[in-house]
Amino acid sequence: MAPEHDVELHEGGFPSTPQLDEETPFRTMMANFDEAARRIGLDEQEYKILRKSDREIAVSVPVQMDDGSIQLFDGYRIQHNAGLGPFHGPLRVDGNLKLTELRALAAWMTWKCALLGIPFGGAAGGIVADRSKLSHTELERAVRRWTANLIGTIGPDRDVLTPEFADDADLMAWALDTLAGHTDGAANSAVTGKPLEMGGSANQEDAVARGLHVILRLASAHFGLGPVGGLSVVIQGAGVVGGNLARILHEEGHKVVGLSDVHIALHDPNGLDVPELLKHRFAHGRLPDEATGTATVVTEEEFLRLPCDVLAPCAISMAVHSRNAEFIQARMILEGAHGPVSPRADKILIRREIPVVPDILANGGGAVLAYFEWIQNRTGYAWMEEVVAARLRRYMREAWDGVREIQDEFDCTLRAATHIMAVRRVSEAESARGVYA
Amino acid sequence: MSSGSAVATHAHNDEFNPFLSMQKGFDTAADHLGLEQGVRKVLSMPDRELTVNVPVLMDNGTVEVFTGHRVQHNTLRGPSKGGIRFSPDVDIDEVRALAAWMTWKCSVVNVPFGGGKGGVICDPRSMSIGEQERLTRRYTTAILDIIGPDRDVPAPDMNTNEQTMAWIMDTYSMHERKTSTAVVTGKPLSIGGSRGRREATGRGVMISANEALKMIGLRPEDTRVVVQGAGNVGGLGAMLLHREGYRITSISDMYGYIVNERGLDMPAVLNHLREKRTLEGFDGADYSTDGKAQLELDCELLVPAATENQITTENVDRIKARLIVEGANGPTTAAASEALSKRGVTVVPDILANAGGVTVSYFEWVQDRMGYFWTEEIVNSRLEQIMVQAFAEVRQTSEKFGVDLRTGAYILSIDRVASVYRMRGIFS
Repeated sequence: MAPEHDVELHEGGFPSTPQLDEETPFRTMMANFDEAARRIGLDEQEYKILRKSDREIAVSVPVQMDDGSIQLFDGYRIQHNAGLGPFHGPLRVDGNLKLTELRALAAWMTWKCALLGIPFGGAAGGIVADRSKLSHTELERAVRRWTANLIGTIGPDRDVLTPEFADDADLMAWALDTLAGHTDGAANSAVTGKPLEMGGSANQEDAVARGLHVILRLASAHFGLGPVGGLSVVIQGAGVVGGNLARILHEEGHKVVGLSDVHIALHDPNGLDVPELLKHRFAHGRLPDEATGTATVVTEEEFLRLPCDVLAPCAISMAVHSRNAEFIQARMILEGAHGPVSPRADKILIRREIPVVPDILANGGGAVLAYFEWIQNRTGYAWMEEVVAARLRRYMREAWDGVREIQDEFDCTLRAATHIMAVRRVSEAESARGVYA
Repeated sequence: MSSGSAVATHAHNDEFNPFLSMQKGFDTAADHLGLEQGVRKVLSMPDRELTVNVPVLMDNGTVEVFTGHRVQHNTLRGPSKGGIRFSPDVDIDEVRALAAWMTWKCSVVNVPFGGGKGGVICDPRSMSIGEQERLTRRYTTAILDIIGPDRDVPAPDMNTNEQTMAWIMDTYSMHERKTSTAVVTGKPLSIGGSRGRREATGRGVMISANEALKMIGLRPEDTRVVVQGAGNVGGLGAMLLHREGYRITSISDMYGYIVNERGLDMPAVLNHLREKRTLEGFDGADYSTDGKAQLELDCELLVPAATENQITTENVDRIKARLIVEGANGPTTAAASEALSKRGVTVVPDILANAGGVTVSYFEWVQDRMGYFWTEEIVNSRLEQIMVQAFAEVRQTSEKFGVDLRTGAYILSIDRVASVYRMRGIFS
């Protein structure tokens, strides 16, 4: 992975999505934004502030294990930049967690929020513990102790937690319960991604897919891919993101000609029976083991090379890489996953004039929903589903319009435009607020 | 500026003191309402005044001490709201009067604020940006205990702008150790400002004009408009009126005015002004530097949107407009206002006509509190809703008491504050 980044760093040109390089994730991620800062002619001294975290907090997390023994884990909260508003970012529990990875994640959140017009700065937290070796109750005690150690740091207007994974709602519930027990008044808006019963937002379960759908409509119109409702789409991943996207597109009358999960990749040029496939996946946790009707089973590599209007990789990073990018037959790529197109593949696709709608914009629906949850908790007023949906469309559209304007101004890729827009917004806020002393 | 509390009761002949004009408005309204002495007394004095002396390290290494004030006239209807000005002429009496003025203005449009005002005695033109920033931050720190989203919410005023507000927001937030955007309004968009704020006052003027036109039975296309002032209020107001179909026949800036009976192409005028920084030389209009004569041009609607004391006993008899919408604060003296009223000229008073600015400030505060930001269309439509409602209420009050719109506006606003006062009672 590293050589690809080095190529990227030194050639300048069109920066790519940050990959969390194991050695220097922060450096490689920031390189794209350094490039953006250079392009907009940002003052070097001013940009220096953005190259470092505002604050990095390390905490010890002692946990009483189920067998009565005590284990000590390392915990962190990295707060990258609060120019635009309170910090906001995930809590990651991972035995291989590195501080530099968290720094990258925190900065990434700053840029992502700025791009989407969300008034938050970026943060990331972590507990260095192997989840697979923790029981549910041990995990709970670890999350509670980590949260308790950060009381005064986390709060509705200070630093807002969000889950990293769709099924991490229980982590958020524990964090909130711990905060609420230690602070006066409701801490509801200090934590997002909560279960609906605890103040979560309507539509949060398929927010990323809804956001992708909005961007898909705007992008396919912009690139002239054809009428709304008549696209052929290949979707890698059938889970929360890919599965929901397949459902929405199928309902709108598009043809989902490819759908895959880790077990199987299915293809049907006439369009797959999406409701049936998702029903199976919901019941059994996986797509069916064989194809039915006119559908066929293809290999993962054949799958990505299927002819289609839109390829939406919604599963893993680096799905499209330098060895298959030459053979992609899609007319547009919509990044549903984080970093599904490698930097080198990105260059190949640019040469082949296949537009890529980058992850930071395309899959931003989840971040927007987290923001909406925070608003609803602050006002104590829960929005109806339709209101949430309409406002999500608004935020995605405004982000798309902004990125498109910048693309025209700088004559660059959509991806580079997202980086420029994010850096510009954060630096505008920074320079307005000035340096407090 | 001569002295005088917000509601001085002693006689004063100074026609050119706009605060005395305001006091006269208050007294007349209070008489109509039969306001009891106790309430009059309470409303004639500020709730709280804070004077601070602020040391600032200047660029040349010396230390200067600046005196600043923050006055909270009344907080019965909500946190106090009002600008902070930087000027060598700031004095406590003026700040008191302006704070009271804000109470009435917020009450007329029924936004849940009381009135406040602040000022620092300094000459920002002779200070570097760094010195202004240090002054702003230290002044903010000095008044920190009495401001806040639920206490007192400052805004820009003379010689302060969105940059100043950004410094205040940053300083307050750093002291509170959390993001606190709702502590000031008039901020840049990137840190909690509202869309539609720049043109808000001009838009309010336009809405007031629309309502007034319906009242006197005129149509926009039959309405020739003379606008004094070409800034955020006059310039943008004229632009919006132009879009509504009014015929803008004349507009001025501080150097002179242009006139064209057939109507000015406002987008072109503003472009010219932006490029040339003067109205002189604009194609298709006559230019004159005799600013005073502009107000006496033949027209249906006159919008004084520049500064105070423009329509006085000296020129009031030569004013030809049937309708005056006060974009500026205090453009008509009390005596002139009386004369206009007698002649049947309709005057939409400043505290109603230019309240679009404070209304969108209120929207900014609302948006900051909830953290959700409205589209420009929503801001504009809610502004219209509030202005139309306020205009209707002022009109009804005027008709009920048989007075002009100015007195009606004061009656409405004072009655609102007084009734809250009676409901809340006196805390002891």
